[in-house]
Amino acid sequence: MSINTIHDVEFGVELPVFEPDTSLANVGAFARAVGWGGARFESHEGAREEGFPGALVPGIMGMGFLTSAIHQWAPSGQVKHVDTVFRAPMLADTPAIISAVVTDIDEDEGIVELDMTVKNTKDETRVFGTAKVRLPLS
Amino acid sequence: MVDLDELKGRFLNTEFASRDLQLQAEKLVTAAKASGESRSEFIDSSDENFQATPAYLCSISSGQHLPIDFPSLGGIPMDGGKAVERFAPVKPDVPMTVKAHLHDIYDKKGRSGRMIFIVVRTELFDATNTHLANIDSRLVVREKPDS
Repeated sequence: MSINTIHDVEFGVELPVFEPDTSLANVGAFARAVGWGGARFESHEGAREEGFPGALVPGIMGMGFLTSAIHQWAPSGQVKHVDTVFRAPMLADTPAIISAVVTDIDEDEGIVELDMTVKNTKDETRVFGTAKVRLPLS
Repeated sequence: MVDLDELKGRFLNTEFASRDLQLQAEKLVTAAKASGESRSEFIDSSDENFQATPAYLCSISSGQHLPIDFPSLGGIPMDGGKAVERFAPVKPDVPMTVKAHLHDIYDKKGRSGRMIFIVVRTELFDATNTHLANIDSRLVVREKPDS
């Protein structure tokens, strides 16, 4: 269901699952665009030389996945605040699953709160956080 | 053991770095598309409301992680997370100023010792001093045990 106003939102509803592109090429493109290009995010071999299990997905890219999922769910929503905890590294070329659930609705202010996670296919949480999204009142 | 109240008194809410910057539209589009963004305001630089995504804002820093005289806590600070609060759209090719201060210092104790969390707040202003966004970076340091 597409969310257009605050009144379309139901407490406890889960956002549609969003599977982002974590390919090494895409992660590298993001890293270079934000000024973080380098082996850690662009090369599995280079990242291993730095002591990581493989090339990493930048934590803020995980935040980008989460906000993209919100924007797809609520095309008129504005993410006012998002807070993410980088619990464990996300690896490039490894599938990630984005999920989010509505935890609060303020119909007077038009604000929805979400709990969000990025997990791997072993159901291990890599990034989690919360977001406040402003939606039209009508 | 480091006295957090003493650290707070010395460092909280005191600006320790600032710099000017402008964002580039091409980089905003690349980062937004790589994140899976589909909205025109983030991926089409000709959109009249074109702006940076929240995640892109988190890549902005003052260029300095901590105050130059901040004491060593014994471990290497790790990136524990980021938050962004948006007050107005952040657009490319607009002169902006970034200012950084320590917003909070707190600890969590566990079986393996104490972890110290340092929240660096980076504030983003445009040329008219309009406050555009706050970006909080949580640095986590495992305190070195007393020998």
